[in-house]
Amino acid sequence: MIEDLTFIAQISIKSSVAVLLATVGGIITERSGVLNLGIEGMMLVGALAGFAAGHFTQSPMVAVAAGTMAGGALSLVHAFFTIALRSNQVLSGLALTILGTGLANFLGRPLIGQTGVRIRQLPIPYLSDIPVIGEVFFNQSPFAYAAYLLVPLAWFVLFRTRTGLVLRAVGEDARSADVAGVNVELTRTLSVFVGGLFAGLAGTYLSLSYTPGWKETMTGGQGWIAIAMIIFCTWNPLLAFFGALLFGGLTALQFFFQATSMDLIPSYVLKMLPYLLTIGVLVLVSASSRHRKSASPADLGVPFYREL
Amino acid sequence: MSDPVISLRGLSKRFGPVWANREVDLDLFPGRVHALLGENGAGKSTLMSILAGRYGADKGTVMMHGQEVTFSSPAKALDHGIGMVYQRFMLIESMSVADNLALTVGKKYGRRGVDYEIRQTAEQYGLSVDPEKRIFELSMGERQRVEIIKLLMLDAEVLIFDEPTSVLTPPEVDALFVIIDRLRGEGKTIVLITHKLEEVLKLADDISIMRKGRLIISEPIDARQMSRQQLARLMVGRDVVLRVDKKEVALGETVLALDGFSGDSPSGGPSFNEVTFEIRKGEIFSIIGVAGNGQTGLVSAIAGLSRAGAGTITFDGTSYTAREWAMASAAEIAYVPEDRYQSGSIGSMSIAENFGLTRLQAYRSGLAGLLLDRQKMAADGRRAIGEHNIKVESSEASAGSLSGGNLQKVILARELTRKAKLFIAEQPTQGLDISATEDIWQALLECREKAGVLLVTGDLKEVLSLSDRIGVIFNGRILEIIDAHDGDRVDRVGLLMAGVRS
Amino acid sequence: MIRVAKRKQPLRYQGAVATFSAVAIALVVGCVIFAALGVNPLTAYTAMGKGVLSSVDAFSEVLVKATPLIFTGLAVATAATMMLWNIGAEGQLVWGGIFAAGTALFLFPGLDGWLLIPLVLAASALGGMVWSLVPALLRAKLRVNEILTTLLLNYVAIIYMEHLFYGPWRDPAGYGFPGTAQIPEAAQLVRFGGTRISIGFPLALLCAVFLYYLLKKSIWGYQVQVIGKEQRAAHYAGFNVTGKILTVMALSGAFAGLAGMTEVCGIHYRLQTGLAVGYGYDGIIVAWLAGLNPLAVPFAAILLGALFVGGEQLQSVLGLPSSISLILEGALLFGLFAGQTLARYTLTFSSRSEVPS
Repeated sequence: MIEDLTFIAQISIKSSVAVLLATVGGIITERSGVLNLGIEGMMLVGALAGFAAGHFTQSPMVAVAAGTMAGGALSLVHAFFTIALRSNQVLSGLALTILGTGLANFLGRPLIGQTGVRIRQLPIPYLSDIPVIGEVFFNQSPFAYAAYLLVPLAWFVLFRTRTGLVLRAVGEDARSADVAGVNVELTRTLSVFVGGLFAGLAGTYLSLSYTPGWKETMTGGQGWIAIAMIIFCTWNPLLAFFGALLFGGLTALQFFFQATSMDLIPSYVLKMLPYLLTIGVLVLVSASSRHRKSASPADLGVPFYREL
Repeated sequence: MSDPVISLRGLSKRFGPVWANREVDLDLFPGRVHALLGENGAGKSTLMSILAGRYGADKGTVMMHGQEVTFSSPAKALDHGIGMVYQRFMLIESMSVADNLALTVGKKYGRRGVDYEIRQTAEQYGLSVDPEKRIFELSMGERQRVEIIKLLMLDAEVLIFDEPTSVLTPPEVDALFVIIDRLRGEGKTIVLITHKLEEVLKLADDISIMRKGRLIISEPIDARQMSRQQLARLMVGRDVVLRVDKKEVALGETVLALDGFSGDSPSGGPSFNEVTFEIRKGEIFSIIGVAGNGQTGLVSAIAGLSRAGAGTITFDGTSYTAREWAMASAAEIAYVPEDRYQSGSIGSMSIAENFGLTRLQAYRSGLAGLLLDRQKMAADGRRAIGEHNIKVESSEASAGSLSGGNLQKVILARELTRKAKLFIAEQPTQGLDISATEDIWQALLECREKAGVLLVTGDLKEVLSLSDRIGVIFNGRILEIIDAHDGDRVDRVGLLMAGVRS
Repeated sequence: MIRVAKRKQPLRYQGAVATFSAVAIALVVGCVIFAALGVNPLTAYTAMGKGVLSSVDAFSEVLVKATPLIFTGLAVATAATMMLWNIGAEGQLVWGGIFAAGTALFLFPGLDGWLLIPLVLAASALGGMVWSLVPALLRAKLRVNEILTTLLLNYVAIIYMEHLFYGPWRDPAGYGFPGTAQIPEAAQLVRFGGTRISIGFPLALLCAVFLYYLLKKSIWGYQVQVIGKEQRAAHYAGFNVTGKILTVMALSGAFAGLAGMTEVCGIHYRLQTGLAVGYGYDGIIVAWLAGLNPLAVPFAAILLGALFVGGEQLQSVLGLPSSISLILEGALLFGLFAGQTLARYTLTFSSRSEVPS
């Protein structure tokens, strides 16, 4: 029984890393007021770039760097259109996903079935020997460890540094921030870029570690789940850890029930839960925002014009 | 008196064809409160915006401590120690006071330093504020204090306040004056832009009055011992009253009656209180006041677009409580709103289509009245174009392509065809040229033959030319209702607009 | 800093400028991609063009692809006319398919075609409508942003559909292939002359015309346009915005539901994988390419359909992955943005922001 639970918990974490990384990146972007629905596209591009770089250079470091940068590069397209040209953020994000998916599938065709670099699990000495907890948390891939560090780091930067203050100010009230001397366009561009980097990293995790190899449906909608997750955890990176874990847990439960032919909860209900719960959170957030304490950045999705 | 901190010489500024400031000479002295008075459009905000670095002057110089200076941005002006507290606060609602201030000042002090500095500054100047509270939790007076602290933390020497009391309650006004007194004591130079004479007489050391872009007088307040009446007259001027052809019209039944009507403005602006008046068919009743005295909220509530808090309103014989009135949808009230571009019309639609905006019922056709009778709309549009002399080729032209005057005529024509018992016109000739203004005035005068007209405006000339009775609104209340035939109506209205009761 | 100033009057023919720029940028992006892979862009584009225009059969496939795209394009355009974002056309399409299959297979399996088909049509519209009303209610009553709710519900719809045809609705004689049984012949839409075009296509065109006239000629349509163009004017005029949100989204969902029906009853003849392939999202592209004009939607849908068919051709003739169509689709939309910005704004660089009062 303990073994089963430990196993489920370990898989849960494994299955949550991609969504977690993408979500944290998305939180940073949305906190600055920019909606980027292109996360799925950026993840896919990152997955391909990472895999391709790994395949050609056989170097894990280069592969990770390539995948991460690819996500960042694609995000700049969105940044250009939405920030410089003031295009509609919803449409731009959707176009970005379509473009990213197309690019990744197109360029990745020759790489289907090929082998690349594989980044395996790396148990941390001593820590991984702790019963249960060690197995669950410290016998993961380096990506998971990176996530353990990046999540609190993101929270710290957002809420305890001046950089984070400026970023949040731009997302709450771009006009006031502008008057206070902040460069709104630059701040938003950088936050979109960082979000892209995270998404690229998340994709790289998938193709180098989680399900090594390249498949056209690599991300399986996790980018969209990340978008939902951003709201679900009310734009707070620390909560993203738990939210992603919830998603990972549901995924793990699905595998578990399939593998053991148990059917406690119908698998389709499990699959639906993340989305339904997110809608629930949305309703709660909207209802409570009557008291002007809305959790979502007030200027989210609103293009910034310096003049009236 | 010591040397002036700031000297403006020959300052002029134009926006398009209009000179907002003409040849203004002004001195500001340290440790003194300088009141800059004038009506809407007198040019006082523009003048101070130049000083605060928001605009650049077209002619003239600004000197600080004897040196000529130019500011290319508000930030540069602040570097020199000149800051402005605007009517619209630039604060991020969901963040705390400390965070907001850290944003502006943080680079200088670091996060810990900011908290310490806030408390120091607050203590030094007697400004009590809780740094941890979020802006949306603060009252207007408290938010204003945050803006003041912001300027002080940036070492502002000259503090300009733009209509500071327009968003404050009376006790908050008193509190503000205590603060300003303290600032004066610490040697700061204070400028108060305002139209409220009464308030200012209590506090100011020097007084300047602007009218139509020019500085009329500028001197210490006790230099000539002028009475408030004399000052008010200087503000308002002895404008030529246009003789408009006013046919005698018999008065009919009461169309609208308000009793104790009170409420807030929909967008959080100044509220209106205990408004009581009547309008009868055949007369033009005007409400005049400087912008920001509660008129917007009042008109919105009368027109049924927002809900008043208390009082009763009687329309065409039936009485409603404030709440019932907001629900009542059937009342036919014609309303020409102040915002003609975004409320009164739709720029991307044609003139004909704009006719449907408030007259939709008239254009129902087809089965079950579900279809839109476009021919009729176009015909009405064409008729309006002919009747009101609108210079456009057809009723299919887009409303957005019309000049201000022509657009207003379209809106007016549409509202006139509603044949309503009450016709509300809000700032109807704002920004229009003389000929369009005269056309609209004529239309309003004719309108009163069939209805009661409520004219809400800040334009004294308009009010004096058209009205039968004039109500002056100030701080949300109708101070007095003056008959248009009163000999000294100009003086009285002017005084009341500045808040001076006789 | 870049100052963006709205032009006094948008450039004439801003729609044409935007479309032209969209196509131009897409072509350029395509050239770059082809060239990077060592393929002559001209050869590639010719292959795509041939693939679309070489035969009646080939072109008919374009219309087949365009059919659901017209429906979803109309769905998105309807909502967008009132500034509502229906990202959920995919899920509404799925529910349309579910209701269609369910009606044909289980509710009225024995009916004749001329009775059954209208029922199936109505059912599918209902299915899509129900699914769009959920986010509509949340938006109208609780001010919940519909972008996210419609998006999330897509996933719920797809998951449920898969559950149905893997589970309770699975074809007992299906040999393990996931999907329902084939719908009765009476429900299968007639196909024209050897192609796969069904009455779905003319029906879609009819819907486009219907929407056009609805918006232009009805009181309802007038109010919807006013609310979409200028919320403040709608408030001034006293329009019931809440009610309109519901009716607009309901109509939008109904259109998307019809897309599901034409796919299930016209192409697959069963509920199976291959229904939710992204037509709902493509509908967003179609709607915006068409400038939200219902009469232009079929043209935009055919353009996109040609893009997809051409891409498939590229795959079989030149061995290049068909996902080039996705790249071009994305590029089209970005090109549209660039064109729109050009037409509506002037970009200048200045060091001061001067705002006249």
